[in-house]
Amino acid sequence: MRHCRIESLGVSPPRRSLFGWTSHRHAVVAGKRCLAASKYRPADVRILVNAGIHRDGHVCEPAIACYVQHALDINVDFHGRRTLAFDLLNGGVGMFNAAHLLTAQMLAGEIQVGMVVASEVNTDRRPDPESTFAASGAALILDLSPRNGDGFGSFVFDTREENADLYTAVVDLKPARGQLIVRRRAELEDAYLAGGSAAVAEALSRDGLRPGDVDLVVPAQISPSFLKRLPAAIGFPKEKVADFTATLPDTLTTSVFLALDRARAAGDLGPGKKALLLACGSGVTVAAVTYQF
Amino acid sequence: MPQKIKIESLGIQLPDKALTTEELMAACRHRPRLDLEKLTGIAERRVAVDEYAADLAVGAARKALAMSRYAPEELDAIVCTSISKHHRPDEFSFEPATAVLVRRAVGAKKALVFDVVNACAGLLNGIWVLQGLIRSGTIRCGMVVSGEQNMPLAWTATREVRHSLDRQLAALTIGDCGAAVIVDGSTDEKSGFHWLDLVTGARHDHYCYSKPSARGGGGILITKARGLQIVGNANFPAYLKQALDATGWDVNDLHHVIPHQVSVRAIRQGIKAVKSYMGCDLPDVFLCHAEKYGNTTTASHLLALHDFMLQGRIQSGHNVLLVSGASGIVISHATFTLDDLPERYRAHVNGRGPG
Repeated sequence: MRHCRIESLGVSPPRRSLFGWTSHRHAVVAGKRCLAASKYRPADVRILVNAGIHRDGHVCEPAIACYVQHALDINVDFHGRRTLAFDLLNGGVGMFNAAHLLTAQMLAGEIQVGMVVASEVNTDRRPDPESTFAASGAALILDLSPRNGDGFGSFVFDTREENADLYTAVVDLKPARGQLIVRRRAELEDAYLAGGSAAVAEALSRDGLRPGDVDLVVPAQISPSFLKRLPAAIGFPKEKVADFTATLPDTLTTSVFLALDRARAAGDLGPGKKALLLACGSGVTVAAVTYQF
Repeated sequence: MPQKIKIESLGIQLPDKALTTEELMAACRHRPRLDLEKLTGIAERRVAVDEYAADLAVGAARKALAMSRYAPEELDAIVCTSISKHHRPDEFSFEPATAVLVRRAVGAKKALVFDVVNACAGLLNGIWVLQGLIRSGTIRCGMVVSGEQNMPLAWTATREVRHSLDRQLAALTIGDCGAAVIVDGSTDEKSGFHWLDLVTGARHDHYCYSKPSARGGGGILITKARGLQIVGNANFPAYLKQALDATGWDVNDLHHVIPHQVSVRAIRQGIKAVKSYMGCDLPDVFLCHAEKYGNTTTASHLLALHDFMLQGRIQSGHNVLLVSGASGIVISHATFTLDDLPERYRAHVNGRGPG
């Protein structure tokens, strides 16, 4: 059976600069790198989904994907070849939701090529101290794998809405230009681990796999303490869980794909290898999917 | 032939309080000299009192479930497409997704949940997303829901509008409403969605945007209305014709066209643009009730469907074309033939009083 695969991955990792990069710049840089590494031209992208949550100036309309589409010059005019651009918001698992949707559209025969971008930044002039995070961007081009079995396995989303209040991100509209307020309760990591345990077991079960069949687990780099507890929670040995938290902070929606890029660059993943991707986000939702390279 | 999807159930949460355009204009600190009611044709809109965007979404979702054959726990997906995520006073919520809050409120324990945001085209975009999930066999049925509490943008405009050409004037045309549909696969070839298409012309992404105000509290909606209308009217008729052609209809096959209810004037200008493109007169099939409810953004099409079904103008078996233009600029069209939804909806609503 043909599966959806990551045809190309581009990232814009956290960086130090005199002037902070905007969310738009991170998304566009990641998108350009992704397109540069792809066999597809911008005009081939039929659907562009932005899954980033935190945007420059807290703009909520139009879809940020429209700005990215414009900057990447993807079928920006009406008529001729067309692209639909929209935002998908679901906290840290948004890129997984977007990949899941594009997989469905491809299997339904609606599209051949889709692109997912995400970027995160807090551009507040005086950011709330608890609401800061490393700015970054990531982009994927997805298509149907030419080889049977390669690509994404079954997507599993474990949502526990009773924990919805453990992670909230709102823009306080009282001050001029608004202020981002992100609140994480102490029990959040426990909820991620509980959801992760269930989601991983379900993802492996649906694909008929055992933990020993997976070469590397690539989780969201939530924190060193989370990565320390994760292997036991999901039933994997510590050495099979990619931990880059020493040099890669939590970057929210982009985290798994920044870590995937690091793992590929380090040679831990490549053709013939099988990965398990694990994302965590508000909701509380934990998403898991296997990936055959 | 790909599987068709259909609207299985509909729910509308319309606030009771009406606010006239005259009352809204009187609330402006610097009242513009123009006659906004005459210019737009909008006489009043509904205003949510003591309920917020998430409450409107939950109310609409509960009403859609009340007439549905699906129980909450049978829903495979909930997609929330609201633009205005004002779930508490003076706050705009990005996380958790509003769909999570709807899932929690209605008890849809196994539903896949996420938000899709694409300005006023969001609801059609959400239906398009569910169409793909249903056609691929990923899900069997799902809900698209929007809770639009737009009035905070209008209140900011009453504080910040300075003159008759102010770019926040469009914020004075919006209103509040919640809307939800449950969609599933159509069981017959005749009814359901025949065509559903969205396209983004991102070169025109600068005509309309919303963000927190730099001048004080609240959010603002900035619209270059004339430019938006010129670009939209220059481009959407070709896509409308394409939707008709792809469905195998001509204009005489249409029973109703439901445009996005931006304003009475904008709808009239849109009709002129279509006439000019088609080079012929059009039958009187364009439905407009913007004078009563203003622009309810993503809830607009479903509110019109609700209103005209209850009036008895939309009947079972009718062919309907939905037309939407949204900031981005996103142009979207959908053609569908109704099954027995209008009869079921009237029986349901009349059986328990107006919704």
